[in-house]
Amino acid sequence: MARLHYDLKMKARSFFAAALLCASLLLQAAPRPTKHATVELLSQEQSAAPGSEATVGLHFVLENGWHIYWVNPGDSGQPPALKWQLPEGFAAGEIQWPRPERMQSSPSLADYGYHSEVLLSVKLKVPQSIPAGQKPELVLDAKWLICREVCLPDHAQLKLSLPIAASSEKNPSTSPLFARTEKLVPKAMPRTWKTRALSRKDDFLLSLIVGKKFTNAQFFPLDAGQIDNAAKQHVQPTVRGANIVLKKSDLLVKPVTTLRGVLVVDGESFNLNAPVQAQAALK
Amino acid sequence: MSRLRNISLEIGLIIVLIAGALAVKVGAPAPGFSEQDSTGKTQKLSDYKGKYVVLEWHNQGCPYTQKHYASGNMQKLQKEWTAKGVVWLTVISSAPGKQGFVTPAQENEYLKSQNAVPTAVLMDPAGTLGHLYDAKTTPQMFIIDPQGTLIYQGAIDDRPTTDQGDIAGAKNYVNAALTEAMSGKPVTESATRPYGCSVKYGKF
Repeated sequence: MARLHYDLKMKARSFFAAALLCASLLLQAAPRPTKHATVELLSQEQSAAPGSEATVGLHFVLENGWHIYWVNPGDSGQPPALKWQLPEGFAAGEIQWPRPERMQSSPSLADYGYHSEVLLSVKLKVPQSIPAGQKPELVLDAKWLICREVCLPDHAQLKLSLPIAASSEKNPSTSPLFARTEKLVPKAMPRTWKTRALSRKDDFLLSLIVGKKFTNAQFFPLDAGQIDNAAKQHVQPTVRGANIVLKKSDLLVKPVTTLRGVLVVDGESFNLNAPVQAQAALK
Repeated sequence: MSRLRNISLEIGLIIVLIAGALAVKVGAPAPGFSEQDSTGKTQKLSDYKGKYVVLEWHNQGCPYTQKHYASGNMQKLQKEWTAKGVVWLTVISSAPGKQGFVTPAQENEYLKSQNAVPTAVLMDPAGTLGHLYDAKTTPQMFIIDPQGTLIYQGAIDDRPTTDQGDIAGAKNYVNAALTEAMSGKPVTESATRPYGCSVKYGKF
């Protein structure tokens, strides 16, 4: 009788301990099922120091074939939008977009976006004034369009507690994802590289002067209505880099002064800002 | 027999794609066409010389199209502008089996249930007209002036979302272009990035 009572007490204690463990793991909520995807709000840090910068992100895992869009979605679609409700003194930066994929659904239509998985991260400023020990709650209202043959708008409100401590510590279970993603976010171009674009009748000739030959390059425009997204980008390797022929969009009615976007060369992605010159004389 | 049809469709599409590659640009003559509408009548662009013509690419399953129909916004535009003598042609370029494809009877039912009042609906399941105009999204709007020149192509308004709540505060490019053109002014925003779902062309 006494032994049965003891067993029950032990079981109750283990159950309680397990429940506590679950609760602490659920400091982050489990991935939320949405239309053809799951989303979760993650933090790179498991604790953040006052006055520090943390990194948080919206992690999408998409069903096979479904995609969401880049900041410039291309010919159709709409990029995800994030709206933060943050405690006093916190500030969230803009989405750090990983380099997109080019999605060509037909010869005349191309979009830019992501399949299977993507983390959209932002830098978060933690105020100096917040005391260690607090667990402020970050609230994110996210809206996005997810498509395959058809498009579905969707949205979610996600919450995340960020423990404040004397020092910032990375979360070992999420930091690999953040580190992988960071490599996919375009970097500033090396200062020795030069880019410029020549505006010709039907296209822009984008020149990369880098110091070595490139055979592989792809340009993703930040601004809509400048280049034809579906047209093939002809890459002409040169001794010092490459030239890329970018067909102009039919929507282009005003002169363009700068071609802005992402340049992917040899698997690495860079931010590009190329001044545009009009062709002086027709050959 | 069907293999021959497939080949001729392919050739037709290639010709159209090449023609399309000649580009549809504001300021240039709008490409002429001859298409069947949902009542079986043949509609030609040349029939409407001397009038403003609006082309509205449409897919009733697309959430962006639904935004403008569920709100009554598109119907309101159709009513107001056709009352002023504008010819409003809705175009459906969805291929059979794809979202937005409807039979003429289904489309006529839809028009009734939505109180939509375009001048006509052009049935374009082969995508010929879509490719001729290089239509990319639904909705996508083209405006042709009485001389047959394209004076606007692009989005319906400047709020590229699926939210009906965004219609009221949006700048409607169709209203702006037609108002300016009809008062003899140049169209200030003549080419904008269209927003919506991709047009569901068939594979070939």
